[in-house]
Amino acid sequence: MRLSKIFKNTLLVLTACLVLSACATKKEVATTDSIKGQMQGDVYTGTDTVEYLADGVPDRVFFATNESILTTASRETLRAQAAWLRKNPSINVVLEGHADERGTREYNLALGERRANAAKDYLMTYGISSDRITVLSYGKERPVDSGSNPLAWSKNRRSVTVKAN
Amino acid sequence: MLKKILSLFIILIPINAFALIEVDITRGNLNPLPLAVSPLSIDETSRKSFEKILKKDNIGSEISIIVENNLRISGLFNPLDKKAFLQAPDIANLKPRFEDWNLIKAQALITGKVNYVDDKLRVEFRLWDVLAAKEMMALAFTTVPSNWRRVGHIISDKVYERLTGEKGYFDTRIIYVSEEGPKTQRIKKLAIMDQDGANNKFLTLGNELVLTPRFNPTSQMVTYLSYFKNMPRVYLLDIETGTQEVVGDFPGMTFAPRFSPDGKKIIMSFAKDGKSDIYTMDLENRIVEKITNHPSIDTSPSYSPDGKYITFNSDRSGYQQIYVMKNDGTDVKRISFGNGLYGTPVWSPRGDLIAFTKLHKGKFYIGVMRTDGSGERLLTENYYQEAPSWSPNGRVLIFYRETKTNAKGEGFSAKLWSIDLTGYNERQIKTSTDASDPSWSSLLSN
Amino acid sequence: MNRSIIISSVLHGILIFITAMSLPFLAKKPLDIPPVVSVELIQIAEKTNIPFAPKAKKIIEKVKEKEKKLVSEQAPPKKVEKTKTKTVLSPDQNNQKIVNETPEAIPLPEKTVKKVETKEEKKQNPEKVDDEVKQVSEFEKKDLFDPNNIAALIDKSKEESAEVLKKNNDITQDQDRNIESAGLTLSEEDALKAQIFGCWSIPLGLPYNKNLLVRIKLKLKPDGTVSKTEILDHARMNKPGQAFYKVLAESALRAVKLCQPLRVPTTGYERWKELQLNFDAREMLEG
Repeated sequence: MRLSKIFKNTLLVLTACLVLSACATKKEVATTDSIKGQMQGDVYTGTDTVEYLADGVPDRVFFATNESILTTASRETLRAQAAWLRKNPSINVVLEGHADERGTREYNLALGERRANAAKDYLMTYGISSDRITVLSYGKERPVDSGSNPLAWSKNRRSVTVKAN
Repeated sequence: MLKKILSLFIILIPINAFALIEVDITRGNLNPLPLAVSPLSIDETSRKSFEKILKKDNIGSEISIIVENNLRISGLFNPLDKKAFLQAPDIANLKPRFEDWNLIKAQALITGKVNYVDDKLRVEFRLWDVLAAKEMMALAFTTVPSNWRRVGHIISDKVYERLTGEKGYFDTRIIYVSEEGPKTQRIKKLAIMDQDGANNKFLTLGNELVLTPRFNPTSQMVTYLSYFKNMPRVYLLDIETGTQEVVGDFPGMTFAPRFSPDGKKIIMSFAKDGKSDIYTMDLENRIVEKITNHPSIDTSPSYSPDGKYITFNSDRSGYQQIYVMKNDGTDVKRISFGNGLYGTPVWSPRGDLIAFTKLHKGKFYIGVMRTDGSGERLLTENYYQEAPSWSPNGRVLIFYRETKTNAKGEGFSAKLWSIDLTGYNERQIKTSTDASDPSWSSLLSN
Repeated sequence: MNRSIIISSVLHGILIFITAMSLPFLAKKPLDIPPVVSVELIQIAEKTNIPFAPKAKKIIEKVKEKEKKLVSEQAPPKKVEKTKTKTVLSPDQNNQKIVNETPEAIPLPEKTVKKVETKEEKKQNPEKVDDEVKQVSEFEKKDLFDPNNIAALIDKSKEESAEVLKKNNDITQDQDRNIESAGLTLSEEDALKAQIFGCWSIPLGLPYNKNLLVRIKLKLKPDGTVSKTEILDHARMNKPGQAFYKVLAESALRAVKLCQPLRVPTTGYERWKELQLNFDAREMLEG
């Protein structure tokens, strides 16, 4: 009688453990896998949302949470943009700065402006006149990905170079 | 010294053989005060006249429902079920039978009557103390019939003030941003409504992005951020005339506007070359003054009610924190030191508290702290909420809350919520569309 | 590699076994829950203070009955003649004009309600009355309006029947001579406190950082009903920024009224015929 009860309990605990652990690992694998290829730290490195100003000239750079520092990849992108702008002296651009939804609206407006300006400053060091560049911040108002997850947020922390004419 | 002598006396008192016995009562119940809102009585001819004009079957009970709802929503009162009332409205207004009202445990009673006089609506109301069996207040209002909702709000304010010792906040309006469409392409319009959600009206058409509207002290002007022609600038809108003008037309982005307590200046952020500083503009002579000068982001400025200090949001320490400075920009002090990031400081109309948004470990909180940063209290926690705005009496905060979207990016919504200073009584304010960036007006009837 | 897996699984097995053994459910029947013991806070008196209780009680009950009659015979409160004060609310002609215009031009309805005291005038300028929000205040008692008289008004919550009181005094005085201690015993005090705690609805909406103490002096009859109440810090009521104090005082008075008759000791009337209650809401609102 008593033994059978102990046996029952053991079974119960075992199955519970198995069920739980299975759940945990599966989920983790799923999320890390999908993010791994597209994020480094929390900076987006994928190409899903990226458009091209010209062949080999991506239009946007991405930022870490709360940051406006350009990554190595971002600098490479901006150098390509600078080269393209030098080749096309008649084109002016607007740099649109964006933030993710995980911040207060007003601070995000300022942060977007700071991000776009980081890109602008870099373009200027590569010889693009500030007259050709306008900065516009949208804060968190215009996300590209409406998801509420780290990957979506990383896509939204961006500065996009848009042709103004 | 004087205090010592006094306390000595207090110690001595019990020794006296004929001393008065003192009993300290330090506890009681914190339940909302039970009160009865008797429907306002109305005579048949008046009733018919109003039915014709207002298309309301019985305007007397309509007004009393407004009063009842306001008082209930405040969380401070518990309006009792009308079905339990023993006395008819007309007789109750003449002379309530207090035993009857006592029986249903009402501690206060509101009665009144409505008349149609010279094409006008005349509303009379009385507030009774049931336990003391006496009248506490009696007032009458006359106005155009279409104004009946406001009469209900004004009565609510009078009752609230008489029973709490503080001004009410019912005869007020809320300006906010109405939102529609997908998250990536939101259409935003300025909208205004009564504090209870009635009389909703749109002020802009939604052709351009608009954000953060805020009332001036008289609630006739609104300052806000508009992306008109894709140039984010601070604008001024006269609600009565509908005229708009740009006030922050600087070579860069102006944002985060708010009025000074005297209504003569607008304080705002100006972003240029990656740094945002705080500026003021005098609305009469258009003189612009730079208040902060720092390579960091300084934004979300808000004046103290006496106009002598400014609280603002800055990341000069590396992260978003709350600061207070004198109105000329000197004497800058950081006041937020808790874990996490702090934003959107707003000085309370009473002057003793600053409300804020806090971001910590992936959660957003609305909280209050004293103006020196002490006594931080978090009132509500959620996935995303921000932008608190004070009720004119400084007891309630209104803010907006956004929901998480699912994996497909669906299920997003933004709604207005209110919570009172105790952290209880959290309520959603119903709006016809999604809504954000609320700003509470001052009392209209003052 | 293999070894560590074996060790690990053995250890896990042990853990699972222990957990299973110690699991209460399935192995045991639910316990019988012992009946709830209700603890009554109230114990009126200690030995030291019970002289001739039974006799006194009877007498008090008699008095109570007499008093009941007296109360029901009381005339209803008089109706005081009306004194009218008229106040005018400011006009707002904008309202109706603009309502139907474009969305950009939404008017504030009747922007303000300015009070203009016109005590003497009975009729107002007829032109002005048009489209105005008029506010007429009819105070049955004029003093309600007058801040200087508010204090006096609250104070009026006295009850009559001094006669009964006198009678009671005669009856109880004999016993009081036996009593030496001046205060209430702890249990007596607790009983009274517990009762008033239950009656006091602390007004919500009080400022939490102010002095929230109201001291009320009571005159009691031997049966615990209240014959007179007095607010001790009257002066505070008329001070600016102290509007909440009046509200607090009123709530305290309501608590006393609601609680009548108070749970006073059955004996020693002389000791407690006057009693001071210190209502302090601070602890409740802060805690």
